[in-house]
Amino acid sequence: MLNSSLRRNAPFWISLLIGIAAWEIAGRSTSQAFMVPFSATVVQLWQLIRSGEFIRQLFDSAQLFLSGFILALVVGMPLGMLLARVRVLRIGIEPYIMIVYSTPLVALIPFILSMMGFGFAPKVLVVFLFAVFPVIYNTVEGARSIKPELIEVAKSFRSNEWALWREVMLPYTLPFAMTGVRQAIGRALVGMIAAEFFLSATGLGQLIMAASQNFDTGGVFASILVIALIGVGLMRLGLKIERHFARWRQ
Amino acid sequence: MTESTIGVSAPPAAAANPAAAATRWYANLLPRFITGLIILLAWELVVRAYAPPFVAKPTSVAMAIPRVFADPAFQIATAATLAAVAEGLVIALVFGTMIGLLMGRSPAFERGFRHYINSFYAMPMIVVLPLFSLWFGYSGVTRIATIIFAAIFSIIINVADGARSVPREFLEVARSFRSSRLRMLGEIVLPASMPYLLAGFRLAAGRALIGAVVAEFFLSIGGLGYFILYNSRSYRHNEAFVGVLLLAAFGVGFELLVNWSTRRFMPWYRRDEKTN
Repeated sequence: MLNSSLRRNAPFWISLLIGIAAWEIAGRSTSQAFMVPFSATVVQLWQLIRSGEFIRQLFDSAQLFLSGFILALVVGMPLGMLLARVRVLRIGIEPYIMIVYSTPLVALIPFILSMMGFGFAPKVLVVFLFAVFPVIYNTVEGARSIKPELIEVAKSFRSNEWALWREVMLPYTLPFAMTGVRQAIGRALVGMIAAEFFLSATGLGQLIMAASQNFDTGGVFASILVIALIGVGLMRLGLKIERHFARWRQ
Repeated sequence: MTESTIGVSAPPAAAANPAAAATRWYANLLPRFITGLIILLAWELVVRAYAPPFVAKPTSVAMAIPRVFADPAFQIATAATLAAVAEGLVIALVFGTMIGLLMGRSPAFERGFRHYINSFYAMPMIVVLPLFSLWFGYSGVTRIATIIFAAIFSIIINVADGARSVPREFLEVARSFRSSRLRMLGEIVLPASMPYLLAGFRLAAGRALIGAVVAEFFLSIGGLGYFILYNSRSYRHNEAFVGVLLLAAFGVGFELLVNWSTRRFMPWYRRDEKTN
């Protein structure tokens, strides 16, 4: 049992070890200002964690991420279903949603900065803007693919609009919306870092900015390593959620 | 389902019936136009009623458009950003395609590198900016490096996915005619994975544009992103918003171009064939 899972994962562990070794060698054979070996990065990270600085910033970032992300879900999913249900609304709004979806929204950050200042709210707005469009888009796609028969049957049993939403539309749309949720997780993370870079420096973004301004390459590597791990972890979580719901998608 | 599905966007589907799509398009025009008008009107009224005078509103933005487009500083900035995005995309396309083909056709290579590619893709791309600025300085090189980093992984992931899904019969026929591996890669695997490559390129173009704008914010080097930052800092929001409109046009333009070329040059490709 243990042996077979070890064998299956062997290529992963071997490639991980080779990667770490390559990082270590590259770090040791170049100047410290350019690259820091893996071992030194881990030591630096450990010091950051022990000083409590790291945990505080991580908590800050998590607060920002969750506020924007949850807001995106709360707004995006009902709006998406509404657009799917009311045809005129969908036809009217859909092209504009597509246009905003393919616009690089980072370009709006300077406007948000000069109108809303440096507080918490403008940063949440940035995360929200990054995350909300994939949620809307995928929810609309899912709700549109509901078989008309299902709605007709519900109607012929005199189901009212609220029951129709709760019993038919929501369960049917959820698996599709979860694809949007997965995409939104990744984009919210980008929005979080962008807000922390360009609005007021807090959280993990501040950690990495401060390290870079002090030419502390080790600190930069340590923060990037952590953010990369968070990114991978969240991506896996998103895939898990998506697959969990995909089981009842026909 | 494997982990490699992470960054794959489904290639754009070709329209099943162009004639039907055309009539629908006309029928939809009126509600779209009215909605657009309502959005612009609401924006105009809200800004007039509640916002300070420097905030962008549709009428002032529209009046600013000719002035901004005639401004040589704006033209230079646009050219700089576009040139950087184009250069970065070409580099990402060439290397991304090569790595992607290798990953799709060589299981050993795939097992060794898959986790790294997926991890780099999952990383919010802008965190590398401080590091790149330490490495390459506050210069255009950092911008190009950021664009490449932003763009290359979605190309690799999509090309690898396409190369994996080449029908086995194609390769068997080629092999039985004693085709060399390299020719098979260039003449069968690459053309067969073109729709995936284009889908990856569409994602990559959007990410490259974000990378360029963010890099210009961060590095304060000349370009469309910096034009927006500079003008909005000087409270000229209308002028700055023209820059945002142009970025939106580029984003939508890339999208339409890729969709159109998939339909035009790869009419044999249908998304529904794959999903069913």
